[in-house]
Amino acid sequence: MTKYLIKRFLLMLPTLFGVALVTFLLIRVIPGDVVELRYSGDRGAVSQEILDRERARIGLDRPVWQQFLTWIGGVVRLDFGTSMWTGAPIWEEIKLRFTLSLQLAIMATLVAVILAIPLGVLSALKQDTWVDYSVRIFSIAGLAMPSFWLGIVLILVMLVVFKWLPPMVYTPFWQNPAQNLAQLIWPALAVGYRYSAVATRMTRSAMLEVLREDYIRTARAKGLMQKLILSRHALKNAMLPVLTVVALEFAFLIGGLVVTEQVFNLNGIGLLFVQAVAHRDYTLLQALIMLVAGSFIIVNFVMDIAYAWLDPRIRYR
Amino acid sequence: MRRPVIALLALVVALVSASVLPAPAQDKPRAGGELVFVVPSEPPSYDGHQEETFGVTHPVAPHYSTLLRVDPFDKTGTKPVGDLAESWTISKDQLTYTFKIRRGVKFHDGSEMTAKDVKASYDKMLNPPAGVKSLRKEAYQAIASVDAPDATTFVLKLKYPEASMLLNLASPWNFIYKADILAKDPKWYEKNIMGTGPFKFVEHVKGSHWVGKKNPDYWDKGKPYLEGYRAIFISNSAAQVAAVRGERAMIQFRGFSPPERDSLVQALGPKITVQESPWNCLNFVSMHHEKKPFDDKRVRRALSLALDRYEGSKALSKITLVKDVGGIQVPGTPYATPPAELEKLAGYGHDINKNRAEAKRLLREGGVPDGFAFTFKNRGIPHPYEPLGVWLIDQWRQIGLNVKMEMIEASAYHPMLKRGDFDVAMDFQCGFIVEPDLDLPRFISTSDANYGRHKDTVIDDLFSRQGRATDPEERKKILRQLEKRLLDDEAHVIYTLQWHRTIPHLSKVKGWTITPSHYLNNQLDTVWLSE
Repeated sequence: MTKYLIKRFLLMLPTLFGVALVTFLLIRVIPGDVVELRYSGDRGAVSQEILDRERARIGLDRPVWQQFLTWIGGVVRLDFGTSMWTGAPIWEEIKLRFTLSLQLAIMATLVAVILAIPLGVLSALKQDTWVDYSVRIFSIAGLAMPSFWLGIVLILVMLVVFKWLPPMVYTPFWQNPAQNLAQLIWPALAVGYRYSAVATRMTRSAMLEVLREDYIRTARAKGLMQKLILSRHALKNAMLPVLTVVALEFAFLIGGLVVTEQVFNLNGIGLLFVQAVAHRDYTLLQALIMLVAGSFIIVNFVMDIAYAWLDPRIRYR
Repeated sequence: MRRPVIALLALVVALVSASVLPAPAQDKPRAGGELVFVVPSEPPSYDGHQEETFGVTHPVAPHYSTLLRVDPFDKTGTKPVGDLAESWTISKDQLTYTFKIRRGVKFHDGSEMTAKDVKASYDKMLNPPAGVKSLRKEAYQAIASVDAPDATTFVLKLKYPEASMLLNLASPWNFIYKADILAKDPKWYEKNIMGTGPFKFVEHVKGSHWVGKKNPDYWDKGKPYLEGYRAIFISNSAAQVAAVRGERAMIQFRGFSPPERDSLVQALGPKITVQESPWNCLNFVSMHHEKKPFDDKRVRRALSLALDRYEGSKALSKITLVKDVGGIQVPGTPYATPPAELEKLAGYGHDINKNRAEAKRLLREGGVPDGFAFTFKNRGIPHPYEPLGVWLIDQWRQIGLNVKMEMIEASAYHPMLKRGDFDVAMDFQCGFIVEPDLDLPRFISTSDANYGRHKDTVIDDLFSRQGRATDPEERKKILRQLEKRLLDDEAHVIYTLQWHRTIPHLSKVKGWTITPSHYLNNQLDTVWLSE
């Protein structure tokens, strides 16, 4: 197992390097650069001399391979440099946004799991009854509605009906839990509902499959209580694909809520992504992509370990 | 029957009284409260000397004073008044400006501000040390030297007289910094705040908000009225509208579109007040003078004659940010074109059929066949570029031209203009003060922003002469000649419609006056909340 873990860990490195190389080259293919955008603003009259001096200052006048080597050298030391737009250290730019995105991802995951697992199990147990049909309608509706659209509807309902809007400024949970939840609960519900729809469908189909297995029939023949059969034998085995879906969605939520964050004005990683692309802030954009890629890789790694714990038949060599 | 008539009369009397009677007692400024406003953009750095975006002036300006400022109650945004300068004199030859600096003004750390600090700040702008940027340097080519002979005197010597100098010194970017700090680290102000303005810095949470609190030692006793302010950064326009509608924010100082204004008025009724003004931003059409047939002034003129600006204004002002028909200066400002003169310029006459017949004649003379096709390159931003572009190609279609619009992604747009990779393209500019010296330099032959690449020594000479004309009437005459040359005789560029600035804000926000520039009037010292 330890050997396997080390091997898996080492495999992460070429994956991350590949991501780094591809993104570094791809974002430089997009026309325009940070200097152009920052100084050819409303008056559009900044001289070429100033633009050239600024490009030289941030190293954009050097050959691409040199820029890459400098940057990757920093990444190896966990130094992502400074934002080309603001001049602030990258970690300073990401820190606060990451806290928000992480909290939102956790809250949305909780909403999703709390809804999906009971509903999925219930739907499987009551297959082809009105309960099953209701759950299926509920989950298909969740799949059909984009979370940002649901977010817009939520905001409009709060504004028009209750004349109230969630706070526009993020307050960390440890500073003021009520204020924090008043802001984040709505996007968590909007995102969590769509996310739960995927997990509900997965839970239902996995449960239906497991409930038809021989060992479940054996457990029933032995006279085990339904509750025990479900919790100890069926649910645990049905959880493998559900866990995969939940974990991948969680990793996606770290940087993927671009539109939802705009709708709720959340100062998260998704919004920072958009700004970094709009400003051609190469260093920030590269760091964000590495962060999201890293999140996916780590979540996958943790999932692989969790599989073994959930299903003792799985052994890694 | 009589009752409704009496009620109507009573209503009319009430409305008339409201407009002519003295302001009620509640219009007396009230102290206290926190102003919450939305900023659609965030400051890249805190140093006004090296930035161009309103994302800096809106949250940062309340921390600073400038030597002069634009009168916060002047709707034209063109009247300079003293800020740190208590008074000033100008020598007879217009080459020496002597400013008397206020005594007793303190920086937020308690230290005294003197003329030495003003000099150090101007030195940084005019001759930035190595590694320090200044975007203000080019605007002050006329300045020969600055000096501070004593603590309350600041002297500015010019190489030649410049009519716009005073107004140019009222630039909202020219924050006065502390000389000692600049001497130790000229880049310190990029990431830190230390000014003499009405509000002290509290915090900036990146991507989220900016907070300032009242400076109790502000030199203008009794001000500011607010206890503090909070700027919330919201880039999405729907979220900005929602913030005002939900009363999470009181105002957004840049501007909303007409449909956004209407939705706020409909939702909030009397709780919202709308201020509007022509905006010192403009989209104009650049035509590449080195490419056929746009090297022919008859063709360029025809393109301008095709535009029905007056009808266009009515239609476009309902859906996007443009409205006013104007010449080279914002309507209603000192050097704006009088309507009678405006109508004489190509494409500004009211008889559109006559204009278009003339346009078709000019195209024929210029050898441009009916149905001639070209591509119009436009900036990939919805407002007002897209509707304005659609309107333009429709207008040109009506004189027999077949125009295809190509939207260029925002960051690729400027490089495209600079490379000259276009036949006809949308161009634009926004000025921070309505002033010919600031708005027109891009039209001289040597300007980096003369994207149409016209070479016209007559324009160059007129521009230079108007800038040195210290008599306003003489200056107006030269400007009218320049305008005729630029927009009519040579039609180097085609002005479309002036932008129109619309600020719907909660009615409880008082003491703030709209100007044609979204860079101005953000010190907030005069602003107060009625509830």
